[in-house]
Amino acid sequence: MGLSAKYLALLLVALVMLGPLLWMLRVALLPQGASLSFESLGGGVFTMESFRGLFVNYGIWRSLFNSLLVGATVTAANVAFCFMVGYALSRKRFVGSKALFSLALITLMVPAHILIVPLYLILRQAGLFDTYLALILPFAVTPIGIFMVKQYLDGVPLSLEEAARVDGAGEMRLLWGVLAPVCRPILAVLAIQTFLVNWNSFLFPFILTSSSDLRTLPVALALMQGHQAIDWQSLMAGSTLAVAPVLIVFLIFQRRIVSGITAGAIKQ
Amino acid sequence: MSLPDSSPSYQPQSGRFGLTLASPWLVTLLLFWLFPLGYSLYLSFTDYHLLRQTTNWVGWENYTTLLSDPAFLAALKNTLLFTVITIPLTQIIAIGLALLVNRNFPGRSFFRSAFFIPSITSMVVVALVFTNLYSRGGYIISLAELVGFTPPENGFLLDSSTALYSIMAMDIWMASGYYMLLALAGLKAVPVELYEAATINGAGRVRQFFSITLPLLKPIILFSLVINGIKSLQVFVEIFVMTSGKYNTSTGVYYVYESGLKRFTFGEASAAAYILFLIIAVFSVIQFAAFRNRRALG
Repeated sequence: MGLSAKYLALLLVALVMLGPLLWMLRVALLPQGASLSFESLGGGVFTMESFRGLFVNYGIWRSLFNSLLVGATVTAANVAFCFMVGYALSRKRFVGSKALFSLALITLMVPAHILIVPLYLILRQAGLFDTYLALILPFAVTPIGIFMVKQYLDGVPLSLEEAARVDGAGEMRLLWGVLAPVCRPILAVLAIQTFLVNWNSFLFPFILTSSSDLRTLPVALALMQGHQAIDWQSLMAGSTLAVAPVLIVFLIFQRRIVSGITAGAIKQ
Repeated sequence: MSLPDSSPSYQPQSGRFGLTLASPWLVTLLLFWLFPLGYSLYLSFTDYHLLRQTTNWVGWENYTTLLSDPAFLAALKNTLLFTVITIPLTQIIAIGLALLVNRNFPGRSFFRSAFFIPSITSMVVVALVFTNLYSRGGYIISLAELVGFTPPENGFLLDSSTALYSIMAMDIWMASGYYMLLALAGLKAVPVELYEAATINGAGRVRQFFSITLPLLKPIILFSLVINGIKSLQVFVEIFVMTSGKYNTSTGVYYVYESGLKRFTFGEASAAAYILFLIIAVFSVIQFAAFRNRRALG
């Protein structure tokens, strides 16, 4: 294959892969009421009015706030808790600690759809349905995170902790002062992954809330459709708002995201 | 992220401290996983319904009713069809993409990112964008007409013969970059000397691919098939957003959602969820067995 043929193929594939997202952005920037067609795309007018409309007419700021709040809380909780649990499973021997690790692996394999009905019912009965806690508590400690931290700590030599103990460090100081900095790479990967998963999450935020004040961005977008006639400009503007942070996080943390995804696979 | 330091005299027994550290997980595991799983299993043998006063034990009735319910069987069929078609196509495209950007060349990281980006965007967004693309005015219809294909009158999604396949195509588009990344990780582990030796021995590119690259990629491919399979058997969001299960696109999880959260027949919905769970478990066991066999063979 000649060099130019290879680049032609690459550009074509890139166009297929990015085309839908470029289309999304173009439609978001079309004037309200403009009809969509292949031809209208190149055409002249670009306007931010659909973005403005999202905040003025659709109150999208509330969903943005919800997504940020839930994403940040779940990420902070998940990183802190998974670090604690991963440390316990890697370093401590207590009754059932081996069995617990197996349990963490099993929970990874049980498909989440099985929780749709019971989680809905249980949170209803507990009075947590349609609250922020419903969006946070069930996702505050994920087995995948525990697994990641435990695997990482298993590879960290004990000498560091022994030295710290000799210096008289207590358990808490050992955990947060000595091991947390050592685990920073894996905790960063976990934080990025948790945030992205939560930011994009739809199923559980959708079924565990009912009031529009509690909708996260994906839920708000999915339910915005079919109000009256479909307002594609606004929908695509909202979609752009949902995708932009993901792209920014990706561009900044590209290496960590890629290593997080591939690390799991290579170990198999 | 720091907790107050304990006093130097605090030397708890290692085990008890370990249990304390693990307790946040144990609590959420119990409340939001173990108990719901058991509760749902119990419900699947009852006629629990939001509007009914009493709840009765009905044995296997939910299961037998479901397995003769055409709507549920159609949903299962769609789920299996979805899985069987998207998994191999996604995998083949992923390997193709990986081969395109494996060797170093100017602009490689741009193309790699471009191929990967769809897979980290939100499924709701992707589903909305493609709903637009598949309807009149979207460029996919224009392109289809350009190559002489007559799309359905109301677009690809409002037609039973094309809706499910259109959603599959979108899923393949979205997921292939992710599996490309896994394939690239596998390719990195292939020693360059193998190719050099093969070239010296006169093996062409195609021959090299089938006798060196593919066998060495096997573990990664199997891993990809397993996780993609578990994901595909639970397809829901795109169905909800794009067709609401109409036009012959209902799937297993969509059926669970409709039965449980729209009709409030919690017993039946739980049974449906467990049937699907069983299918996923069988699928995973088969895959893992395949894993083990390959490994034993070398």
